[in-house]
Amino acid sequence: MTAATASTAAFATARLIGSSASKLKPPSTFLSFRGNLGSSFPMRISSIRWARFSTVPKISATISVGDKLPDATLSYFDAADDLQTITISEITANKKTILFAVPGAFTPTCSQKHLPGFVEKAADLKAKGIDTIACISVNDAFVMKAWKEDLKIGDEVLLLSDGNGHFTKAIGCELDLSDKPVGLGVRSSRYAMLVEDGVIKILNLEEGGAFNVSSAEDLLNAI
Amino acid sequence: MAPIAVGDVIPDGTLAYFDAEDQLQSVSIHSLVAGKRAVLFAVPGAFTPTCSLKHVPGFVEKSPELKSKGVQEVICISVNDPFVMKAWAKTFPENEHVKFLADGSGVYTKALGLELDLSEKGLGIRSKRFALLVDDLKVTVANIEAGGEFTVSSAEDILKALV
Repeated sequence: MTAATASTAAFATARLIGSSASKLKPPSTFLSFRGNLGSSFPMRISSIRWARFSTVPKISATISVGDKLPDATLSYFDAADDLQTITISEITANKKTILFAVPGAFTPTCSQKHLPGFVEKAADLKAKGIDTIACISVNDAFVMKAWKEDLKIGDEVLLLSDGNGHFTKAIGCELDLSDKPVGLGVRSSRYAMLVEDGVIKILNLEEGGAFNVSSAEDLLNAI
Repeated sequence: MAPIAVGDVIPDGTLAYFDAEDQLQSVSIHSLVAGKRAVLFAVPGAFTPTCSLKHVPGFVEKSPELKSKGVQEVICISVNDPFVMKAWAKTFPENEHVKFLADGSGVYTKALGLELDLSEKGLGIRSKRFALLVDDLKVTVANIEAGGEFTVSSAEDILKALV
């Protein structure tokens, strides 16, 4: 594992388990491109690290603003408790969709801030023309359903399982958290994107599990 | 790895859990059960129906009886991360003895030779359902299902074997 990846993974893990290391919040500069830039070069964001980390981890994905999202199949349990599948193209075709991803169901930042933020702002986002808000995680559909029930979420946000991580891999947003002791395996890094008719218009990527640019407010301000 | 069998010594491995103070801990299986009589049972997935409605409740209910027969540890293992295991354990508020341990990356399950490929169902590699009775690290009863079915690995099956 390269030093950059190791420090990113370590930082991401610290953020997830809410340890004291996570109090070192790195100031980061980020750019969120609006759709009309139409550029296709990969977005690189450098963030200044404090103290211990001497390398500059990069946030990367294989997609960028202006790209059409690759198709993939995600799953969820419907209101009747039946397992359903849905594709990325079904969620995004001819619609304005927000897709955001979390590293793990039931983990602190995801449960206490990221997902609740979108539930809270769902009405505001829909008032701005958003048709669907979906949360994606590399967890199975049973866990996503239990998480949804635990947080008492209704129709505001769809919780979708990328159980085998195929979609996450297709967009290059894997986050390797296989190191002990947490044992989360390969998950998704945190992000939030606005997609119009399958094309990415806004893409806010985090470094691992950090929570700086991918909140509901960030998207609300950008739309 | 060949599947674990009666007469084998269980491999050592590190599993994770959140303790009563919500701190992430890791524990070696050997340190937990060496010198003791223990039941190790595994489920394919936290929050899945059979696991949640039958397998775990059976052990929660029968653990006092297992204890009266000399079982000192009742351990539930799943290839889920410790956050999920903690949330799942909370759904069994009446539980007193069963410890929920996370084999997040499936390493221990692989060491036991008991992996179950559920990638087609979007669950990745999980554990087969099983229940082992272990005496000072040696397997004395190995009730292993072929997959996720529930025919031989219940608490009652282990109790019968303890008679």
